Formats: sequence, C-alpha cells, structure tokens
Amino acid sequence: MRILLVEDDVDLSRQLKSALSDAGYAVDHAADGEEAHFLGDTEPYDVVVLDLGLPKIDGVSVLERWRRDGKTTPVLILTARGAWSDKVSGFDAGADDYLTKPFHTEELLARLRALLRRSAGIASATLACGGLRLDPRAARASVNGEPLRLTSLEYRLLHYMMMHQGRVISRTELVEHLYDQDFDRDSNTIEVFIGRVRKKIGTDRIETVRGLGYRLTPLTGESEAA
Amino acid sequence: MADGWLFRPGRSLTRRLVWLASAWIALALIVTGAVLTYQFQESALRRLGNVLAETIDEAVIATTVMPDGTVQTTPILDARTLRLLSGKYWAVAEPDGNGGLRTLIRSASLGNESLAVPRDLPAQLAGAAGINITYNSVGPNDEPLRVAASLKTLPGRSAPIVFLAGIDRSDIDADARQFATLAWVTLGLLGIGLLIAVFLQVRIGLRPLYDLRDEISNVRKGKAARIERTYPAEISPLAAQVNRLLDHNQDVVERQRTHVGNLAHALKTPLSVMLAEASGDPSQLAEIVRRQSDVMKGQVDHHLRRARAAARSQGLGERTPVPEVLDEMSVMLERVFQSKPVEIDWRAPDALGFLGERQDLQEILGNLMENACKWCARKVRVSAGASGLGQMIVVVEDDGPGLAADRYDEVMKRGARADEDTPGSGLGLAIVDDLTRAYGGRLTLGPSDLGGLKAILSLPAAEV
Repeated sequence: MRILLVEDDVDLSRQLKSALSDAGYAVDHAADGEEAHFLGDTEPYDVVVLDLGLPKIDGVSVLERWRRDGKTTPVLILTARGAWSDKVSGFDAGADDYLTKPFHTEELLARLRALLRRSAGIASATLACGGLRLDPRAARASVNGEPLRLTSLEYRLLHYMMMHQGRVISRTELVEHLYDQDFDRDSNTIEVFIGRVRKKIGTDRIETVRGLGYRLTPLTGESEAA
Repeated sequence: MADGWLFRPGRSLTRRLVWLASAWIALALIVTGAVLTYQFQESALRRLGNVLAETIDEAVIATTVMPDGTVQTTPILDARTLRLLSGKYWAVAEPDGNGGLRTLIRSASLGNESLAVPRDLPAQLAGAAGINITYNSVGPNDEPLRVAASLKTLPGRSAPIVFLAGIDRSDIDADARQFATLAWVTLGLLGIGLLIAVFLQVRIGLRPLYDLRDEISNVRKGKAARIERTYPAEISPLAAQVNRLLDHNQDVVERQRTHVGNLAHALKTPLSVMLAEASGDPSQLAEIVRRQSDVMKGQVDHHLRRARAAARSQGLGERTPVPEVLDEMSVMLERVFQSKPVEIDWRAPDALGFLGERQDLQEILGNLMENACKWCARKVRVSAGASGLGQMIVVVEDDGPGLAADRYDEVMKRGARADEDTPGSGLGLAIVDDLTRAYGGRLTLGPSDLGGLKAILSLPAAEV
C-alpha cells in the first residue's frame, strides 16, 4: 500500500514515517503544500495523511485541488484545530476522515485501515444524468463537476433515482428503498428528502408527476455527453 | 429651581418638553385673558361715561341762575330720569363748606334720596374744574351705580356748582362677567388643544428615539444583527456608533477565537510528537511521557473551552440556520463512520434558527451526534423544532446499547477530567453541557425508543 504523508513538523514526520513503514506501508513524505499537491497529482497513492497547517499552500486548498482534478484517493486530515467548524471545512474540501492532534499512533493506524477497507469496495460504473454524476464506489456525487454534499439517505434516494432515471417512481417505491422496514415512514418523509435533494442538485432535475410520483431527467439543453 | 427636578438626568424627555410647553402656554393664555377682560370692561365703562357726560351737559343747559344767585333746573326730557328709582339719576349740588356736598336740585327718579358722594370728591372736583370725575357707587335702590361729577361755574353766580349724573351699571357688569366667562372658557379650551398638540408633537418628534430603542432591544434579543433603519440627523450618529460598537464586539470575539486557535495549534503538534515518540516504547520513561501528554492534552482542551466560553458571551445577534448545520454534520459524520455504516436521519423546519454563533452550534451538535454515531448500531435520529417562547428543542437519539440511568450525571459532569478526553473514551458531553449552559439552555439525557441514549437539548431559537 502506498501512502503519502504530508506533515511539516520534522519530528512528527520522522516518527509517523517510521510507524507507517513498520505497519507495512510504502511511505512518501511531503513537507509543504506545493510538494504535496505535486506528488498527489502524479503518483497513484492508496491513501493520504494530510496535515492542514502547511507552508506555501494550506492543506484544505491542496485537498480542494485534488478533488477538483477528479482524484478520489481517500484522505485523512490531521489537524490541531479540533473545532467542528474546522472539521466541516475539511470535509467540504473532500476529506474522508479526521484526527485531532495530539493523537495516539495506534489510533491513526486503525483509522487508515478502516479507510482502505472502505475504498476497496467493488468498483462499479459511474452513473450520469446530464450534468449530474454519481460514483457508487466513492459514494460521491457531483453536479457539473461541483461535488455534492449528501447525507446517506439523500445519497440513497439520488442513487435509486439515477438508476431508474427517466421513469416515474412512486412514493411507496421510494420509501421502500430509502428505509428498512422497521424505521418510521410517515407520509411526508419522501417530500422532505425530495425537497432537500432538489435544493442541492437543482429544482428542475426532479419532476413531480402529479398523483404518480417523481421522475429524474437531465435538464433541457443538457446533452447525454455532458 | 426648575433645573432641580425638571432637568434631572433620568427624567423623561417627553415630560420635560410637555412641562415646558404647558408652562409657557398657561402663562400666555392667562395674560391674554386678563388683557381681554380688562379691555372689555374699560370700553363698557367708557361708553357709560359718555352717557353720563351727556346727562350732565343736558342738566347744565337746563339750569339757570336766578337774579338772587340761586339756581333752577327744569326737568330733563328723559323718561328714565322722571320715573322713580329708574336707575338713571342726576342732581345739582353745591359744596357745603365742610368738605361735603349739599344737594340743591335732584331728578324725579331720585325721589328724596341723594347720590352718594365719596369723602374726597369735593377736593378732587376743586382741583379739576369742568372735568368729569367718575366713580362707582351704590344707588337709592341698592343698585350698583356709575356716577360722574363735574364742577362748573355758571354765569351770574360766583360760587361753583356741582352737577352729578348716575346710571345703573348692573347690565354692564353682567355683560363683563359673561364676556369674562366666555373668554376664560375659550382660552381654556385653546390651552387644552395646544397641550394635546404639543404632546402629539413630542411623541411624533421623539418617535425615532423609540424606534432606535426597539432596534437595540432586537439586537440584544438576537432578532437583528445591526441597526438597519435610517434615522434623523440628530440621532443617526448614535445609531452609527451603536453599529460600530457591535462590529467592535464581533472583532474582539473573532480575535479571541484566533488567539485560542493559535495556542491550540502551537501546543498540540509538540504533544503529538511526544506521544508518538513514546508510543511502542516499553520503558518507564515512555510510559510517563504518554500518561502526562494525555493529561496535558486534557488540560489544553479544558482551558481552550473556558476561553472560548468567555469570548462567547459577547456574541450579540448572531443567527445560525439549524438545518444547514444538521446537514453538514450528517454528511461529515456519515463519512467518518462509513465503515459501520451509520445512517443519520435529521428533521428540522427550514426556518429554524439558533440564536448564537455557528461555531458553537457546530460544537454542540457535532459532539452530540458524533457520540451517537460512536455508540449506535446503525441509526441516529435527530429532530429539531421550535418550542415557543424563543426556545427550540433538539433531540439526538441512537439505536445503540444506551446508558444506565444512574450514569447520566457522571457522563455530564462539568469540567474536563483528563481521561475523559482521550480518543475513544468518555462521552465528551461535558463540553456540550458547558456550551448549552453558556446559552442559557439545558441538556438532559434519557432512554430512546430506538434503544440507545436520547439527548434532549433546549437552546435559544430565532427565525432565519
């Protein structure tokens, strides 16, 4: 497994490098944002450990650039700033997990194992509907290249609709695919989630067919080649 | 003296302005009333004086001096002077040498009575021959009289003769009284009208001040972030200063946060180094370093929280949309706990807002929801809604093993115990409880019907 370690503190880098090597990873190290961006862009890493406070380019910007270029490599953020607002901005940039400093090395190794296990899922084809894309392997979706922020229920709803795009899907059908049998299913649930997904992907992409259900279609003018 | 109470700081401006205006209005109206009634009475008396002068003239013309020096007066052709006690009288008299007057001839209306004469009249007459002197008196019928007297010297007689004429003035007095009543009532009404006008003017004039007060109160309650309205030139500097003060507050809060964040960054990386260096080393020294680093980490977190809590109380008027924060937290935590996987179902009305800073709501919900994700089997449910009276309720539940009721207090204990803050141990509810209390809210725990723990938060709410 190849891993990219991005950390500017000399001592911490040395320690992490040896701990990661001991755990069986092939470790590349970058000490600033520029080097990190270059390495991540050119080498096929399995996972990245990214410190947020970096010289030259900060960690969040590096991550944003990778994601914009379509890199889906799982990224674990290391940050001294433990506030949730910092974590949120990291995740908005495309992080997969975070670890707040100071941390135990064992914790880091456990998190990395979990990340790798997750991304090793069976690859399946990316779904597209106009400018809307959904990558089931990375569980990510985007509109016109902009990553979407979806909760798992919203993602599941969108996934199901993209698999059946162009067809009218009834509410009952959607509820059945959204929830397990034992979870609450009041009648408003689907409307709530359709509303939220519409807010995120654009209102016109999901059409309400009165009395029948909903239908996902590309926007008029959006070609299938988009 | 007026400054003593009227202008004491703290007195109502409205009261001050209305008092000043009423004092001025009352003074002006009283003077006006006095002048008007005086003028009316004066002109009435002047008219009476003219009538009396005419009567005296007629009496003079009707008077002849006999060769023996006595005088005779033929009755004047005026019906009123012929009828007994008619209210119009005349008389001819001469000084009696003792400072009084002796009546020589009287009008038929007088009968046997005389016109009363003030004691100093003969002296006055002597000093002003030929000029009418008028005075008030009482008539033979006890009616109020206006009397005119004049000292004349007639040809053929060396001793002067006094002609007197009197007329009932009760009509005039009644007129004057009626006029005075009318005048005072009218002026009084005018005064009341003016006072109402002044009061309205003051209220309308001070309206912007009341508006400003309401806006500031809204900022304090968090319904508004700044003073938005345009104010008259006199108080717009005040509004601008209030806004500047709000900005300044915001700046201070931000600066404090930044300092605190920098401190965290500065301390935490060295701590990471120490922890990493000690990990995997079985020596006693490494064990001590590990343990003490954990203690230091706990201390750093604890004091950062305190500093943040102190900065927080300054945050005025911030409003944070709850659905946005729930959404970003859900997306993030589901990703973090993807290997489980965890499914977060959150519900909140679109317009629900938290009356406080976004970072704080993120901290509160982040910790509670992360906790639920950590302990749940699969599902986390979050429902938020307004509960009236400017409050909202957020319920975070999971379907995990839950917690025995006798441990609720223990996990919410305020302040940080170092071992609570090591990764993976402790529930991290102390920080949630601290923050919630800082906002005057409450955190309570209970069992969820999903099977796990249910955390119920009450927090200040505002519409967004």
